[in-house]
Amino acid sequence: MTLQVAVVGSGPAGCYTAQALLKALPGARITLVERLPVPFGLVRYGVAADHQGTKSVTRQFERVLSHPDVTFVGNVEVGTDVSLEVLRSSFDAVVIATGLDRDRRLGIPGEELPGVVASGRVTRWANGHPDACPAPPLLGRSAVVIGNGNVAIDVVRLLAKSPSDFAGSDLPAVVASALAAARIEEIVLVGRRGVDQARFDPAMVKELTRIGGATFDIPSISTAAVSPHAVSLRHLGEHQPRGDRVTVRFRFGWSPLRIEGDARVEKVVFADSTGAEHSVATETVVSAIGFAGPAALVPDEAPAESGRLDAGLYCVGWARRGPRGTIPEARTDARHVAGVVAADLKGRGPIPGRADPYRCFAALPATDLAGWHAIDRHERATAADGRVRNKITDRRALLRLARPHLNHLEGEPA
Amino acid sequence: MSIDVLYGTESGNAEMAAEEIVAALGDGRAVDLQDLDPDDLTSSAVYLVLCSTYGDGELPASAQPFVDALQAKRPDLTGVRYAIFGLGDSSYAESYSLGGNQLAECLDAQGAARFGDFGRHDASSSDDLVASAVAWAETALADVATAAA
Ligand SMILES: Cc1cc2nc3c(=O)[nH]c(=O)nc-3n(C[C@H](O)[C@H](O)[C@H](O)COP(=O)(O)OP(=O)(O)OC[C@H]3O[C@@H](n4cnc5c(N)ncnc54)[C@H](O)[C@@H]3O)c2cc1C
Ligand SMILES: Cc1cc2nc3c(=O)[nH]c(=O)nc-3n(C[C@H](O)[C@H](O)[C@H](O)COP(=O)(O)O)c2cc1C
Repeated sequence: MTLQVAVVGSGPAGCYTAQALLKALPGARITLVERLPVPFGLVRYGVAADHQGTKSVTRQFERVLSHPDVTFVGNVEVGTDVSLEVLRSSFDAVVIATGLDRDRRLGIPGEELPGVVASGRVTRWANGHPDACPAPPLLGRSAVVIGNGNVAIDVVRLLAKSPSDFAGSDLPAVVASALAAARIEEIVLVGRRGVDQARFDPAMVKELTRIGGATFDIPSISTAAVSPHAVSLRHLGEHQPRGDRVTVRFRFGWSPLRIEGDARVEKVVFADSTGAEHSVATETVVSAIGFAGPAALVPDEAPAESGRLDAGLYCVGWARRGPRGTIPEARTDARHVAGVVAADLKGRGPIPGRADPYRCFAALPATDLAGWHAIDRHERATAADGRVRNKITDRRALLRLARPHLNHLEGEPA
Repeated sequence: MSIDVLYGTESGNAEMAAEEIVAALGDGRAVDLQDLDPDDLTSSAVYLVLCSTYGDGELPASAQPFVDALQAKRPDLTGVRYAIFGLGDSSYAESYSLGGNQLAECLDAQGAARFGDFGRHDASSSDDLVASAVAWAETALADVATAAA
């Protein structure tokens, strides 16, 4: 009997795990189960629309999904449409690669006010995620972005760029027109810690010099500060475009205390290291302070250290290590976990009397790889306005293109 | 003449290109640079080397230990022949594809001889990485064959 492995989630961790399993367990069949009709997780729905080069890893993932031993089962949410228990009894091993999409909260008064939104929601919206698009964020002429990681910089770029700066991206038209209508004039980026402890890549700051029409207000940084962050900010200060369309102010060492406003956010109050308060008037607040675990399918106290949660149950990527780390780190992690899975299965072999793996999807309106390819072709063919892709942002429209059908998945090869 | 397709990678693009070159040539093997000892480079093989770029023009993680070993051991690579292909992203305007350049400089410094064109792939372009890499490999190998004839 063929070994059957299910991978839950088709983001980088899931795709790299499948890639590594193809090498570590030749002949095994790998099924990627994804809650959306489209694959690639945060590569499609997190990585910024104007960073198409970073999205080019999908070329590898396409190659994995097209491998004859790999099956993509879309539009199936594990834990809702099919239980983890049923999945575990149908496959010899199950690897949870569901990521973590729950935004970490600021935990300060006023966070519930209209106009306050978390970065995960903003970046899903900006990437046309079908769950985020029905409720676009409320944008005003001014915005405060709280956080000092790469996602915070992604949000600043999104808000500060002019429509023409998105040529060559796949920013959805609805997002582009909402941003243009907001006419954002001022963005204040606030980090809790000092410049030297900032978490963004210096290259991300350098990139900001290319935003036409922007002026960057950077606090004076002592020439003694030689951290890559300080150097990149000085570089931005010296090479900035100095336009009058939008002003971006960097503030370091300010902790958010409270958000105030009546019907919607009006200002944010911060405290600096001396305890002095600083108030910033704003119509929008984006918190970009990371994501929170644990993953829904990963038990709280599970020993995730090796990647093995229980017999035949594993986790990988952000679901394993928490919401930190890049795409290359997901690859390293996936290779490690695939090695653990392969070693266990080689020793054990298929579960005797295991159910036909595809029976657990039989009654569900699942989509397949051809469905994703139909969406992909449509999105590329209808791209306009200098976009490389016209992302479909409506779940029903995605499903119409992917044409879910019942019972179309083939049974296990004899 | 054996063919080794060496790659330095971080997110796996160079690995995929190397594997697809091996598949297209129907010959050779793909080897991650992190699994290669520079002392094992020989003049009886030809090397096709693919390398991406990280940070701000730096080597990808899997090329770093190889380059460290190269600089520590300083082997004499006279007679070792290689062609190089750099992977990068032109949106990093000032450091575009520098990882491949760095690796080539390190090999050259030890006396290795480069053949063929310096191949490049830009992740921000619409060029297909696999098609570009395979075309580069075939042209480079044709050059070696002509030179040998
Ligand atoms: C806004 C943002 C920008 C980023 N930009 C970059 C960047 O430029 N470069 C970089 O290297 N890294 C970037 N990262 C980090 C990178 O995205 C992560 O390292 C990586 O995506 C983690 O992979 P993952 O597979 O664990 O999770 P994810 O990518 O989140 O994939 C999880 C997948 O599982 C699916 N899923 C979830 N629950 C279920 C379920 N119950 N059943 C079935 N399927 C399910 C999801 O739909 C999703 O497709 C960014 C992250 C964010 C949030
Ligand atoms: C964090 C990061 C930094 C990068 N820096 C550069 C760079 O300085 N110059 C460049 O040309 N490409 C750069 N790139 C692009 C990669 O080299 C390119 O995506 C390549 O295809 C990756 O190949 P790999 O998967 O084999 O590592 C960078 C990519 C990332 C994610």
